[in-house]
Amino acid sequence: MTVYLWTSHVKHIVLSRMQVVMKIIKHYQEEGQGSEVVQGVLLGLVVEDRLEITNCFPFPQHTEDDADFDEVQYQMEMMRSLRHVNIDHLHVGWYQSTFYGSFVSRALLDSQFSYQHAIEESVVLIYDPIKTAQGSLSLKAYRLTPKLMEICKEKDFSTEGLKKASVGYENMFEEVPIVIRNSHLINVLLWELEDKSTVADKHELLNLSSGSHLEKCLQMLMDRVDEMSQDIVKYNNYSRSLSKQQQQKHQYVQRRQQENAQRQSRGEPPLPEEDLTKLFKPPQAPPRMDSLLIAGQINTYCQTVKEFTSQNLGKLFMAEALQGQGS
Amino acid sequence: MSRFFATGSDSESEESSSAEEITPKATGTAFNKQNLLLSDDEEDTKRVVRSAKDKRFEELTNLIKTIRNAMKIRDMAKCLEEFEQLCRAFLKSKAIVDKEGVPPFYIRLLADLEDYLNQLWEDKEGKKKMNKNNAKALSSLRQKIRKYNRDFETEIANYKENPEQSAEEEEEKEEAESGSYSESEDDGEGVTAKSFMKKKPAAEPAPEASKFLKGAADDESESDDDDDDEIWGSDSTDSGSESEDNEGNAASLALAFLKKAQDGDRQADRKKEERKRRSKRKERAEEEAEEEGLEQEGGEWEKVKGGVPLVKEKPKMFAKGTEINIPVVVKKLNEILQARGKKGTDRAAQIELLHALAAISEENNLGQGIMVKIKFNIIASLYDYNPNLATFMKPDMWKKCLDCIDELLDILFENSNIFIGENIAEDSESLAVSDQPFRVRGCILTLVERMDEEFTKIMQNTDPHSQEYVDNLKDEGRVCNIIDRLLQYLENKGSTEEVCRVYLRRIMHTYYKFDYKTHRRCMGIQGESKSEQDQEESEGEDSAIIMDRLCKFIYAKDRTDRIRTCAILCHIYHHALHSRWYQARDLMLMSHLQDNIQHADPPVQILYNRTMVQLGICAFRQGMIKDAHNALLDIQSSGRAKELLGQGLLMRNMQERNAEQEKIEKRRQVPFHMHINLELLECVYLVSAMLLEIPYMAAHEFDARRRMISKQFHHQLRVGERQPLLGPPESMREHVVAASKAMKMGDWRTCHSFIINEKMNSKVWDLFPEAQRVREMLVRKIQEESLRTYLFTYSSVYDSISMETLAEMFQLELPTVHSIISKMIINEELMASLDQPTQTVVMHRTEPTSLQNMALQLAEKLGGLVENNERVFDLKQGVYGSYFNRDQKGGYQQKQGYQRDSDQRGGYQQRQGYQRDSDQRGGYQQRQGYQRDSDQRGGYQQRQGYQRDQKGGYQQKQGYRGGYRSQNQSSY
Repeated sequence: MTVYLWTSHVKHIVLSRMQVVMKIIKHYQEEGQGSEVVQGVLLGLVVEDRLEITNCFPFPQHTEDDADFDEVQYQMEMMRSLRHVNIDHLHVGWYQSTFYGSFVSRALLDSQFSYQHAIEESVVLIYDPIKTAQGSLSLKAYRLTPKLMEICKEKDFSTEGLKKASVGYENMFEEVPIVIRNSHLINVLLWELEDKSTVADKHELLNLSSGSHLEKCLQMLMDRVDEMSQDIVKYNNYSRSLSKQQQQKHQYVQRRQQENAQRQSRGEPPLPEEDLTKLFKPPQAPPRMDSLLIAGQINTYCQTVKEFTSQNLGKLFMAEALQGQGS
Repeated sequence: MSRFFATGSDSESEESSSAEEITPKATGTAFNKQNLLLSDDEEDTKRVVRSAKDKRFEELTNLIKTIRNAMKIRDMAKCLEEFEQLCRAFLKSKAIVDKEGVPPFYIRLLADLEDYLNQLWEDKEGKKKMNKNNAKALSSLRQKIRKYNRDFETEIANYKENPEQSAEEEEEKEEAESGSYSESEDDGEGVTAKSFMKKKPAAEPAPEASKFLKGAADDESESDDDDDDEIWGSDSTDSGSESEDNEGNAASLALAFLKKAQDGDRQADRKKEERKRRSKRKERAEEEAEEEGLEQEGGEWEKVKGGVPLVKEKPKMFAKGTEINIPVVVKKLNEILQARGKKGTDRAAQIELLHALAAISEENNLGQGIMVKIKFNIIASLYDYNPNLATFMKPDMWKKCLDCIDELLDILFENSNIFIGENIAEDSESLAVSDQPFRVRGCILTLVERMDEEFTKIMQNTDPHSQEYVDNLKDEGRVCNIIDRLLQYLENKGSTEEVCRVYLRRIMHTYYKFDYKTHRRCMGIQGESKSEQDQEESEGEDSAIIMDRLCKFIYAKDRTDRIRTCAILCHIYHHALHSRWYQARDLMLMSHLQDNIQHADPPVQILYNRTMVQLGICAFRQGMIKDAHNALLDIQSSGRAKELLGQGLLMRNMQERNAEQEKIEKRRQVPFHMHINLELLECVYLVSAMLLEIPYMAAHEFDARRRMISKQFHHQLRVGERQPLLGPPESMREHVVAASKAMKMGDWRTCHSFIINEKMNSKVWDLFPEAQRVREMLVRKIQEESLRTYLFTYSSVYDSISMETLAEMFQLELPTVHSIISKMIINEELMASLDQPTQTVVMHRTEPTSLQNMALQLAEKLGGLVENNERVFDLKQGVYGSYFNRDQKGGYQQKQGYQRDSDQRGGYQQRQGYQRDSDQRGGYQQRQGYQRDSDQRGGYQQRQGYQRDQKGGYQQKQGYRGGYRSQNQSSY
């Protein structure tokens, strides 16, 4: 099927052909386990206001042995080969699997930035295998917002920079809606498969046990919160030292002026101006990007938990109602 | 400077006076040799300090020599350096110069140096070639000497006018001087031959001098004959062809040769001296040289014939026919002692001399007083033998020392009428045999203390795994014996302080020894073999009683804090070693040593550490696991137990410790036989940590604020976890880690088998005197703690569990199980109740599930986060406040700063704008359901109030848990 992705000028994304989704899933099944992440390249083209993703290929898994493996080389080779067999070979982004929704990281930001910098319409597809395993396909497309792009371009992650750009954790990434479009034949096949599948398979969705998933989420949430606190403490220290220095500076200036005044009254020339910035080097401001990312990550976790719990509550109520009926 | 000697060198003086300064090396030594010989034969009689003048002049000549050498090789930098030193030395000898006039050789150097420098300065070519350093030195030196020479203008002018004359003058003066030397030698006071020897060779010209000097310098370490060898070596080269063949085999024969030669030369020297006195001018020197030559040859002849026994020399200590009485001996003794501590004094010879003196005084029946005095000095000089504090005594010296002290004590015991004391003045001594008691200056206690220290040093410096160590250790008995005898002696005669000191020595030799005899008696076992029984009989009273008696005396009488501290520590150690836990603990607590031990000196601190460790081990043996852990925590947690106990140095960077410190630390080391087994220590610590930590970990599995009881134990656990492949445990640590893992599962049998098995027995447990009892205690503890762990870990799985099952599982009696569980319930560790009729524990499912736990943790963490956030905000507010205040204050202080001030105001307003900004945040907070009024501060306080509420709510929740439990309990 084709996946259409709407980018800045593209409004939505179409994943044409099941093939792309299947390939991504297969890639994870084969190579990713646990918290390990698999990545790959998306190929496709922009049609009108849609980004159609028509194909993809995985990045080979890194091992310790082939440290000198050239990824770029591999991509070029791959795309050339695809062109030879006349398949779409335009690079339109990349995909990545995620572990319990933990994908907002510096690495993702950096690589998406470089993609988006080079190819304007690039997207990153995040595939959540665990949610998918629970019965609902979880595939999301993200792009960096133009504001964040600006900041990344300038590499200005200071507090002021972020404030000026008014970037918060909420508007770092923008999600692009996905539409999966299949050919009629595949649709027919799907219908047939659904008919054949057992009842139990169909109602995987209704599974009530939720503890472990939630626990895991909480665990990771907690880790992030810890990081956040650390970051805040760091920032706190910074601002404290900054204010202290400001005071010193202020005192120094006052003293200097007093002295100058005295000298003037005595008819002496005033003291030469000194470079205050040299005397008082401002402390190194901690980069705020990390805390922003952590906040973003916490946000996604919260979203997941919220979503999950609301679903579960619904299920529980349903089960209760059913039980009441039964008894 | 060679001219200085040239006069003395008789054979070539004519030549040398006119010759260049460089030539008369040979002559210089020839003269020197005479003096040496002269000195050697007379050294036995007189060794006294040389005069200040000689010393100063010698220093000057030395420096001048080096300067001349540097001049020769055009080393300006060296020249400059030496010149500066020379100036300084000259200043130092100002007093003498004032008296004697400026020495001509000094003037000569100044003149020469100036000429030389000017010459160099003119030589543009040469200057260019010179390297930068040298050129710089040259110019600065030139300036310096110009300035300096201004002070000596007249003298230099004189010298330049008539260099010959001044040289001769100098010679004359020298002549006169040497004459006076010999005279003074005859008189037996002032300068002696020895000093002469010291002075001249030092001033000798380059090659020979250096050779000799080396010998002289080395003589601390080398024995007498080595020294003589050296002298002989230089002699032979100097005196020319005939001696050269001797040189080869000099080594072995040298000593004999020398002594002989000296004997031979002796008369010659006498003659020479006479002649010196008689003749006034140079011609005399020539004659003398001839004579000398002859005599020397004669001497050599004799040498070749063979050695004459050394003994021959000994009686020469006193002139023949002198009546040997006490004043003479004392005088002699003082003479010998005056050389003490001087550089180049041959210490071995000194000891010999003292022995000889002792023998003489004994021969002549001079009485015990003088004997004691001489003995004191022998021992003192034995201690002096090693110039360095770090080196230890050689075995033979040590033996001698012990013998001497023994003899001294013998004398003291036999003659109760001898009074010794440090404060008896030299003059008020009464050594003569008379009705009055002897009074001798000296302190036997100091000597014995020093001996004890030497013993420690010997033990420190012996390889503890060698037979030598065992041999040395055998001397411990003698040392103890001596201390015991001294103790008896001082108990009768000494002052309280002295008694305290000697008591401490005794304690120090007792506290670390385990009293097997008493132990066995307590155990009710008779000594099995006969030898053991003998040993038992031979041993005195119970060491505990001795310790008690000695320590209590010290507690009562001591006035120095240090001795009492040491005594207390030793006492505690001794108690702990013999498993008298309560006494030891009480003493430790009563002494309050823990509070102020950090002010003590390092050796006392080491003793304290040792005591604490021993206390901990004692507590462990008694089954007081917690006490044991607490006592050992400080030592073990640092990871430097070895260093803290003074049982070895840790490898560390040189930055942290330089060589000097290392030496000091080495001196603090405890001898090996007193060591506490570090593996035992660690094992005890780890096992007690395991017994405490594992149940604690199980109880607080989900507690976010769980603290570690023992970091080191956790570290070991982590190390164990990191292992990729877990084999059966090998080392003691691995055993403990494996046991901990088993205990975590509540599997006491496995735990037991890991803690107590063959390997661990041989490594650790058998080292305890009551190994079996300790093992039983351990098993018991393991069972109990495993039960607790099991209940903590698996209580959530059970609805109820029968106590009988538990008792069976952990092989404990029912009452014990009952008591353990009751205790857990009372301490609110276990949410359960006991059902009496069925003997079961009924669990209350009040423990939160893991998800709930997680949520609680998260809530707590978020609380922390919010707090931190508040702090950031707080800071901003605080800063503004302070800015504002300070501005106001500064406002009226400085008037001209008004402009800026208003700027500041503007800034403040801006910030107010920011505060409005932060209102936005407030909006966010409102969304969260906080109630805020428009006032920022009020809102903030309210928020804090909210927080408090939140916490309260949380506590309520906990309270609910408690309530639930209490409800249950009451229902039960």
